[in-house]
Amino acid sequence: MIIQDNLLLNRAEPDGLGGVQFLYKVKGYGVTAISKPQEELSHIHWEVDVIKYVTEIPLKYEVCHTTDLAKKTLKFYSDKALNEFLDKAFKYFEELGLLENMLPDNDRP
Amino acid sequence: MSNLDFVAEGKPADWVPLGETQTVVDPMEMFFKLPRKTEFITGSEAARESIRRMNVDVAIAYPITPQSETMQQAGYLYDEGYIKDFYRGEEEIGVMSACSGASRAGVRTLTATSGPGLMRGMEAISSWPGARVPIVLMDMCRVINTPLAIQPDNIEMSFMLNTGMLLLHAEDQQDFYDYPLVAAIVSEKVDVTLPCAVSVDGFFVTHARGQVSMTPKEYKLPPRDGWASAVPAMDNENPPARLSRDAPIQKSNFISYHMHSSWQQEVFAAVERSAKYFDKYLGGLIEIINPDAEEFLVASGAAVSQSREAVRQEGEAGRKVGMIKIKSIRPWPMRELVAALKNAKRIMVPEFNQAGWLHKELCSTLYGRTTGTMIGGPRVYGGMTMPTEMILEWLADARKKQL
Amino acid sequence: MSFETLRPSPALKEFLPIEYKDLVDHGPYGKNKKVSDMGKFKEIIEEHPMCAGCAMTLFIRLMYIGMPNPEHTIVVGTAGCGRLALSQASVPFVYGNYGDTNAVASGLKRGLDIRFPNQFKDIVVCAGDGGLVDIGFQGLMHSWFRHEKFATVLLDNEVYGNTGGQESGMTNKGKVLKMSPRGKKDDKMDMLGLAKVAKLDYIARLAPTNPARVARTIRRAILIAREFGATYVQAYTSCNIEYSIPTPDVMKDAFEIEKDRYGFEEIISDRAKEYLKDLEAKAKAAKKAKK
Repeated sequence: MIIQDNLLLNRAEPDGLGGVQFLYKVKGYGVTAISKPQEELSHIHWEVDVIKYVTEIPLKYEVCHTTDLAKKTLKFYSDKALNEFLDKAFKYFEELGLLENMLPDNDRP
Repeated sequence: MSNLDFVAEGKPADWVPLGETQTVVDPMEMFFKLPRKTEFITGSEAARESIRRMNVDVAIAYPITPQSETMQQAGYLYDEGYIKDFYRGEEEIGVMSACSGASRAGVRTLTATSGPGLMRGMEAISSWPGARVPIVLMDMCRVINTPLAIQPDNIEMSFMLNTGMLLLHAEDQQDFYDYPLVAAIVSEKVDVTLPCAVSVDGFFVTHARGQVSMTPKEYKLPPRDGWASAVPAMDNENPPARLSRDAPIQKSNFISYHMHSSWQQEVFAAVERSAKYFDKYLGGLIEIINPDAEEFLVASGAAVSQSREAVRQEGEAGRKVGMIKIKSIRPWPMRELVAALKNAKRIMVPEFNQAGWLHKELCSTLYGRTTGTMIGGPRVYGGMTMPTEMILEWLADARKKQL
Repeated sequence: MSFETLRPSPALKEFLPIEYKDLVDHGPYGKNKKVSDMGKFKEIIEEHPMCAGCAMTLFIRLMYIGMPNPEHTIVVGTAGCGRLALSQASVPFVYGNYGDTNAVASGLKRGLDIRFPNQFKDIVVCAGDGGLVDIGFQGLMHSWFRHEKFATVLLDNEVYGNTGGQESGMTNKGKVLKMSPRGKKDDKMDMLGLAKVAKLDYIARLAPTNPARVARTIRRAILIAREFGATYVQAYTSCNIEYSIPTPDVMKDAFEIEKDRYGFEEIISDRAKEYLKDLEAKAKAAKKAKK
């Protein structure tokens, strides 16, 4: 089963390509994980990006390829790999949040 | 002696079919009380898990994309002993005809098809309701028109609307697990005794994964009772008569046109009688979000998922938009729709087909019963996608034009 | 059908139509009636709307006498002349769609095997040359190659009789009929040859010239189908209307055609022969024990 902690939203993939999107959020950052239909079932995979939330309502985020977690869109072929990444990402975001809080107010992102 | 000789097919003599190790539970317990576990699986896998719990006697298969995955899984279920008999038929006319034969024998019968396969089997399928044969038909919609394509498009469902078939439209993988189980039970109710198709928008659901909450596989539905049926089974277990069950429907030498018309009336009355069961087992023929809204999206199948997201985004923007998901196309939830939409100002019907059959159905239901404007669209077809944005744009456009 | 199902309660019996009472008291169920008993018992088929002098009707009447267990038999047919009589029989009749007989029978037989694992339920497909060889060809072939456990009886009148006389795949070459205005261009289809290719355990071709032989052929086809799968009987059942055979000469025609070209052919596989021998021995022993 996919990790449900820190899950902000689970919705139909909004581009209409079929499949689902899971959006996670921890301290301003998060992960989008999309699973789309594939003609070959064995090709079904997770497309994962680290994101930075602009606002939660309305839901707006930007893809963030500047963290140490991921410099590009990641692909996972199993739920286990996705879950492991999510665990890692949640810890990373917690620490990142702590570090950002230590910055002087005008330097905070 | 029969086709059920598992030793001849390579099983050890002490083999116990796994279906026989399952415990039968009451449908209400299966649908609402048993604990459930959620898994992230494809629509085809959801179909397989549904079939595993359906207590199927005979499943007959024929491959066609995007359905093949499901019936080959049914083959594995047969191998494991969850289905009693299974074979690959010659093509869809053969398969649909064989299903009518199996159901006439009084056993639970299942098959699945897609687009062109449904069209090929249509002569047989359209004769099922008149023959009063309960059959579960899983239908994974795909393009039927030339040029050939395997993409989702649910125009094929419109061909089933006036046959006397029961017809459910599954939105996602979860529905494609739940609805076939409900279909099996309702179609076999004595005052129904009709075949039931469960359509789903193929590829988007069959070939994609979604969260499906399922009951333990150790439980199955009660078997079909071959003695309980609106018309007797073709088992030669009834007192002999010179006219057998099928014969009264033929018109030529013996039967009046009046007989045929009353037979049809009875079929369509049985469709209406099924509504009370679907209402009970599906938890309503429709689902409503924001019932007090003035603007409504009315959809079935995969269009519902995109509509849900459109409603959510409209909500973020401070606009309350209602949504109705139509679960059951036949029986058609006329009373429910009229009640839910009588005060609506604007009703929009997004669809995955060119003809807009759902829009037409809705128009004929709501004519004279609402003062709201009916908007047929947005529509995508031939495999086109329907982004949430498209629905939002149509809504904005309708508001701008004050439709 | 259990005989308890057949027998009405004594109090109800007097209110039932004579037709039904006769079936109960004098019907063939469980009594193993023979052709030589004709006229002395209530037959499965009596009244029918077939044309006067129709050879097909005679064949169908004999077919019902040949059934080893009419009380556990279901006939599957399709549109055509035959179903006009078949639907009047007191054996259940599935009147399917065009050319769907062998597919329907496949499903029906498998379903009945599940519901009645301890009782043979015999399925007999009985349809014409148009229904089986033309529109039903695919279903017929596949049921043979799958060796589905039922008998197929082809009523070969060499024409579409019910729709008014069009040529069929079983019409002879050169014959002028509706839809073959210049004479049929191709040969009569060799269904026996195809049955051999499919390796059926019982294949027979005959004309209804010898009533006892018709009943015996049908009986063998049904018994062997139970054990080994698909069997095939092809019967010349002339259409006296479309072939302009004077009514009193229908049987003369049957004898002539049999002699000229149709003949009698019976192909039984070795294992089926063994099985029949075994059955006969058992029947004899039972008879002896009864004495």
